[in-house]
Order: sequence, then C-alpha cells, then structure tokens
Amino acid sequence: MTTGSRMSVAAIVAAGLLLGVTPAVAHHSAAAAYDETKNVEVQGTVKRVLVRNPHSWVFLDSTDEKGQKVEWQIEMGGTTSMAWTKEALPVGAAVKVAGHPSRAPGSHGLTGAIFNKADGTPIGPRGGRGETPPR
Amino acid sequence: MRSTIRRLSSRRSVGVVVCAVVLLAMNRHPLPAVNAQSAPAAGAIPDLSGVWDGTRRSHPINSATIPWARTMAEGAILPDGTPAGKNYVSNFPELNERALAFQKIFDEPLSPKYDCQPSTPPALEFDPFNMEVVQWPDRVLLRYEKDDQLRTVWLDGRQPTALDYGIQGFSVGRYDGNALLVETTHYVFDITGFDDYNGIPSSQQKKVTERYWREGEQLKATVTVEDPMFLRKPTSYTMRWLPAPKGYKLKAFECDIEAARLSVQFIPPKYK
Repeated sequence: MTTGSRMSVAAIVAAGLLLGVTPAVAHHSAAAAYDETKNVEVQGTVKRVLVRNPHSWVFLDSTDEKGQKVEWQIEMGGTTSMAWTKEALPVGAAVKVAGHPSRAPGSHGLTGAIFNKADGTPIGPRGGRGETPPR
Repeated sequence: MRSTIRRLSSRRSVGVVVCAVVLLAMNRHPLPAVNAQSAPAAGAIPDLSGVWDGTRRSHPINSATIPWARTMAEGAILPDGTPAGKNYVSNFPELNERALAFQKIFDEPLSPKYDCQPSTPPALEFDPFNMEVVQWPDRVLLRYEKDDQLRTVWLDGRQPTALDYGIQGFSVGRYDGNALLVETTHYVFDITGFDDYNGIPSSQQKKVTERYWREGEQLKATVTVEDPMFLRKPTSYTMRWLPAPKGYKLKAFECDIEAARLSVQFIPPKYK
C-alpha cells in the first residue's frame, strides 16, 4: 500500500499482545460495541476532532485494503478525562492508530486507541485519557 | 351593631395589612429553612462537604464486574480502596425471573444513556468523575460532574408524594453519629436503572439506601439497593472518594447527543 492511509488487517492480533484488555470507556459496555480481544492498526489523516462528553471522537480519513476511502471513528475519553487538546491532533495530521475494532460488520470504529505520528512518535496516552492530577 | 361590624372589619383590614407586610418582608429576606430533624448538638454533624475525586485514582471504575463482582482475585482493589481478601464473597445481585427475562431480551442500543439520559444510583457514582457534597441545615446537596446531576437529600422531615417520582427519585436523610443516612425512593422505571453493564432494569419500587462517612481524608459510602420487582434480596457495596485536587471546581458535563450516540452503530443488531 503506497498511500499514506491504509488499514493493516494483518495487525489484528490476539488479546493482550499489544494493548492488553482494558475497559476502554466508562460510559457504556465497550464490549457491546468493540471486540477487546482484537487489535487493529490503521493509518490516516485527521479529519475532525470532537472533544465532548460522554466521549470524544477522532475521525480519520483512510483507505481500506481495496483502496476504497473509509472513515475511521475513534472513541476516546470524555472532556473531563481528556489529556489532550485539539492542538495535539491537528486536522490533516498523518497518524497511525492501534486499537480495539468495532463489532458491527462493515463498521470502522476503534476504541482504546494508541496514537502515533507517521514517524512512530507517540501522541498522548492511550485513549487520550489522563487522570485527575494528584493534590 | 353596624358600628361593631365596621370596627371588626377595620381591625381585620389592619391585620391583613400587617400580615402582608410581614410576608413581603419574609419574601425579601427568606428565613433559613427549619431543620426538623432532632437537632444535633453543635459540631455533631459530620463534615462531609467538599469536592470529591471519583476517578480511577480513588476506586476501580464501573465495568461488568465493578462494583458487582462475582469473583475477585485476592489482592484486587475493591471499590472502597481496600484489597480483596482470600475469601471474597460475591455481591452480584440475585436476580429474580423477571430480571433474568429482561436481561435476555435486552438490546444495548435501547440504553437511554446513548441519548444523554442521566444515570441514577447506583451507577451514577461509579463513572470516573468527581462529585461535590454541600451541607445545608435542612438538606444535603449531592452534585455530580457526571451527567450534570444534582440530588437533594431533605433533612427537614418532608416525605415524597405521588408527584415526586423522577429520574433521581426523592431522597430524605438524617445524620446518625458520624454518618449521613440517605434513603431514596420514587424512581421511575429505568431499563438500565441498576447499572451500565449488566442489562438490569430498575422499577418504581427501587429503594437506594446510602450511608456516607469520613474515614481519614477519604469519603466512604455504603450503597444498598432493594428492588423487589427485579432483585430477590438487597445487594450492596462500599466505595470511596478521595479529596479532589485543591481548588478543583466541578466541570459542566454537557452531554452531547452526537458523541453519545455514535458508538451505537458499532453494536451488532440483536433484532431486525
């Protein structure tokens, strides 16, 4: 795949090999929407960032293995737990994302995501989620 | 006779005017609400006030097993911040046949939270957000960052009426030694009224009893849930909060419909 955007199906691996199994979101049963026993890695460019409650979202323009354009929707932590600002993921930035894929056939969702720049430099913590700072 | 009536009428008018003036004055300067509970001695009321940290720093957050763990590995951190002992006993609710039937047909996209409907106790306390306790003479205010919810716990002896059914029910309370006891009834039916993870509904007969107390710098609470429509017997857990960072103010949640609903498309449909 020569485009800057691709989905690496081969990157689907068993649970715990890459990210470990963690509850990705607290708002709902993540297991209903995402398969936390699998991980995928995708590449794309940031199209839109929605920093909201109950969960923030990052929309990624990408292409699938057939060269078709797809939009990945990546579920993150809510505003109160987000360790990022929109500036950390500017629209148009090329990124690599690894996370748990959505369950519905044909859907393109991710959660529990780890973001890296195109050169592999990490961007923020998993899921963009930080902790309340200590006293 | 006529002059007597006139005199009485005149006195009544003066009385009405005096009452009106008093009422107006009270309206402009409302008197503090009367505390009808047996007045505790000065200083006897436990200080539970403050902003409390309910994030992962304080306790494990809700999941399919928290706070209603069926099993718990020895040493795993319990919702009250203590490690599970070797002989941990499950506190998962004992569901009746009606609840089991609901669980079987439950379809996740039905969950009201995907439309920003707020959660209620016992789920409300367990998402990783902060909360604030405000103690007034006649009430305690429990304000949650999660879902922008405010619960009022009345201490003045009032009781709910048939008009007081609501999403957060109606709470009354009293101080008992170093603790605040809260009893909440008059909940409306909620298809996920028990928690966010196990598809257990709650009925109008749900009753939540909470006991809050301070333990060192921690705020602790034991939450007990009864609901004869769905539970065979009451079930409870104990959790804790830690003091929020100094100066922290609760943030507005402002649930966003688009953000709340997006993940529903990722759930494989259970029904056509």
